[in-house]
Amino acid sequence: MSNSSKPNLWVRYTSKSPVFVTVFSVVLGLVVGALVIIATSPVILHSWSLVFSSWGGIFHALKVTLDNVGAAYRSIFTGSIVDPPQFWHALTTGKDWAVALTPISETLTYTAPLLIASIGVGIAFQAGMFNIGANGQAVMGGIVGTAAGSMLHLPTIVHVPLTLLAGILGGVIAGIIPGLLKAFTGAHEVIITLMLNYVIAFFLIYTLLSTALQQPGQQNDVSRYLDPTAQLSPLFGAHSGLRVNWGIIIAGIVVVFAWWFLERSTLGFDFRVTGANPKTAQASGINAKVVIVLVFLISGGLAGLAGVVQVSSTTHFLDGGFLVGSAGIGFTAITVSLLGRNNPIGIIWGSLLFAALNVGGRVMQASTSIPLDLATIIQSVIVLFVATPVLVKEIFRLRVEHAEAVQLSVKGWS
Amino acid sequence: MSIREIASTTINKVKRPVGRSRAIGTLTLLLGAFTTFIFGLGSNPASKSILTFNPTNLTGVIPPHVGELSVPSKATCLILGILIIAVGIEILVRRPAEGLMVRFGGSAVLFVIGLLIWTVRVPGPAPFGVINMTAVLVGSSPLVMVLVFGALSGVMCERAGVVNIAIEGQFIGGAFFGSMIASTTHSFILAAFMGALIGALLGLLLSFLALRYLSDQIIVGVVIVTMLASLSSYLNVQVLSPYPQYNTGDLAPKIAIPLLAKIPILGPVFFNQNGFFYLMIVLVIVISFALFKTRYGLHVRAVGEHPKAAETVGIDVIKIRYFNVVVGGAIAGIGGVAFIASYGQFQPGCTSGLGYIALAALIFGKWRPSGAVVASIIFGVSVYLANNLQTYNVPVRSAILQTFPYLITIGVVAGLIGRVRAPAADGQPYKRD
Repeated sequence: MSNSSKPNLWVRYTSKSPVFVTVFSVVLGLVVGALVIIATSPVILHSWSLVFSSWGGIFHALKVTLDNVGAAYRSIFTGSIVDPPQFWHALTTGKDWAVALTPISETLTYTAPLLIASIGVGIAFQAGMFNIGANGQAVMGGIVGTAAGSMLHLPTIVHVPLTLLAGILGGVIAGIIPGLLKAFTGAHEVIITLMLNYVIAFFLIYTLLSTALQQPGQQNDVSRYLDPTAQLSPLFGAHSGLRVNWGIIIAGIVVVFAWWFLERSTLGFDFRVTGANPKTAQASGINAKVVIVLVFLISGGLAGLAGVVQVSSTTHFLDGGFLVGSAGIGFTAITVSLLGRNNPIGIIWGSLLFAALNVGGRVMQASTSIPLDLATIIQSVIVLFVATPVLVKEIFRLRVEHAEAVQLSVKGWS
Repeated sequence: MSIREIASTTINKVKRPVGRSRAIGTLTLLLGAFTTFIFGLGSNPASKSILTFNPTNLTGVIPPHVGELSVPSKATCLILGILIIAVGIEILVRRPAEGLMVRFGGSAVLFVIGLLIWTVRVPGPAPFGVINMTAVLVGSSPLVMVLVFGALSGVMCERAGVVNIAIEGQFIGGAFFGSMIASTTHSFILAAFMGALIGALLGLLLSFLALRYLSDQIIVGVVIVTMLASLSSYLNVQVLSPYPQYNTGDLAPKIAIPLLAKIPILGPVFFNQNGFFYLMIVLVIVISFALFKTRYGLHVRAVGEHPKAAETVGIDVIKIRYFNVVVGGAIAGIGGVAFIASYGQFQPGCTSGLGYIALAALIFGKWRPSGAVVASIIFGVSVYLANNLQTYNVPVRSAILQTFPYLITIGVVAGLIGRVRAPAADGQPYKRD
């Protein structure tokens, strides 16, 4: 690194935009992911154990490492964005476009609920509040939405909006509890929402085993199917073979709403003032309690919408594994929101990236037997770095001026 | 308002934490009402409940036989309920400044006894008609132990002003790597060291990011938990499943303390446990002493309350915070090992949010080791009962029963926060000028 007074190309290039911090965090996340693969792959470890047993052993080991890590990351890419040979085939012959477009279609399918939930978490973050209960709220949205989608029988034009509204209602119910508790008792939202996630997870099991929602003739925790009239249909028709559906359009509407809400509406302004400085907000006459309740109402409602979109577009029924573990879009939404610096445009890129990681991760799991959890590991490492921009700047010797970490306005427990 | 008046009102505020006693008094009243109306009035006057005290399935030392106790269900529940209501009224009326936790803890114990008597009443729905009180206590003790480890970790960190929400992650890390070491070396001492190392490293990561780079402690903590949850799930598939010899699920041997282990009831609960249990008791005593009776503890509390003032008198704020978060992490890591040492094999998600419940226990216990112990007992027993009462045909579905510990946590946190005071600088980043 040169210490000359004249900034070199690297510094001039990277100091322009805070996006570089995010990009380098992603790079670091992928590096850590590669290290995890290397440390747990018997083939790679075996090749390194033979480094000193023959001339060229080190080259062999490097080759094996690159091959395996490369295969994993390649399958993430081809499984989530595009497989070049298939694409070339479609381009030259004009046939099999469905196959060539399947990866990107899958990614967009996954993106829709993730984007909606992340916008919800992001709005809460902008108001300085940490809605770590988005997953529970999404599950609640899924439960109420499934109830509306499977028990009512209506024409599509009414049934779909009603199902979505029911989902939003479910999310609002789950979101308003921590909102009210925080506003009126001062309880920290993190503990409340975390605990509610567990409560709602058990409530899901309970509803799936009760006669109202359980699939008739089933003993397991499986719900009834949504009526076809309550499902979000594929954008290009059911026979296109592409699963991308109206969910992504709904997500787009949510993004526009969120942008308008945060940038143009009075209430959104109140939210952001509260997030930037609660004392200023109070001094300027913003009612803190109302803001807290509304933040959780909106955030929970969006999470609920995400949950119902997931059911209505992809699974069409609920089971005990709904949004559990790596499928927990409500948890991924937190990382997406941080990655996108809580603004709607950033969240679009963040949710596309993390959806691609999850979708590609599934293909990777199938083709290389590396568990899907790798995607979550990479995601959390990325966010750890995004939350610590100064560290990224130090590692890469960046000189970005405006790369502030997200800080919650409410510190400590009371 | 004269200075004298201000001073006297301030003193009154300090002396009588009105809100806290009101919240706890109301909670106690609710417990009492529940015991009276649901358990008491809900049981048949002719019903009887049998309590036994002889531990079953105990290896090693067996204390002398204690006769069983047969009580009329309805009358006992009514008496217990009225007792609890009396305690609640006493709290609300007298607003005692000291001993609130003792009163509430005692009421909770009476409530649980009432619950158990009601559950096993004969004639009634229960298939056994007998409850083994010693077994309930012995069964809850590992949960209580793990919660105490977690809450102690929280005490260490938060007294120094750092919120350690990564306790759950340290549990997971300690449980995973502790299980590997215990399975390969058959030594739980080595496993404990491994858990402490992992927990300390995670504490170091948290404090490094939070203290040096001033990242938001809660965000970093939550991300650490996500990372450990996914990493352990990943390694479970990649390493533990193909090589079951790394996850044998052996339990730590119980060490019976001579003579003491033979005391009925108390013996099996307190003196015939694995080494982690005794370690926990030692840690509670050591940390209480260190925090409140030593120079170091004074420094820690100063750093947690007013770091700037502490810095001016020459205390190295950052150093104390690093030390406490790393030691706190090590304690939580040992807690994770204690978990698998008492329950066997590591499985992804096995700690099921105990780390977060430990945080609530810490708040409930007023950031004191002794308070954290009382709170952990309440939470631990409720988790145990939620998981096990189903065998007694309680007329509540298992999934609903299992939400209770989490609901209790929400209730306690919502009822108490703002009424108990966290260390003033808890969660605040500190920057030297």
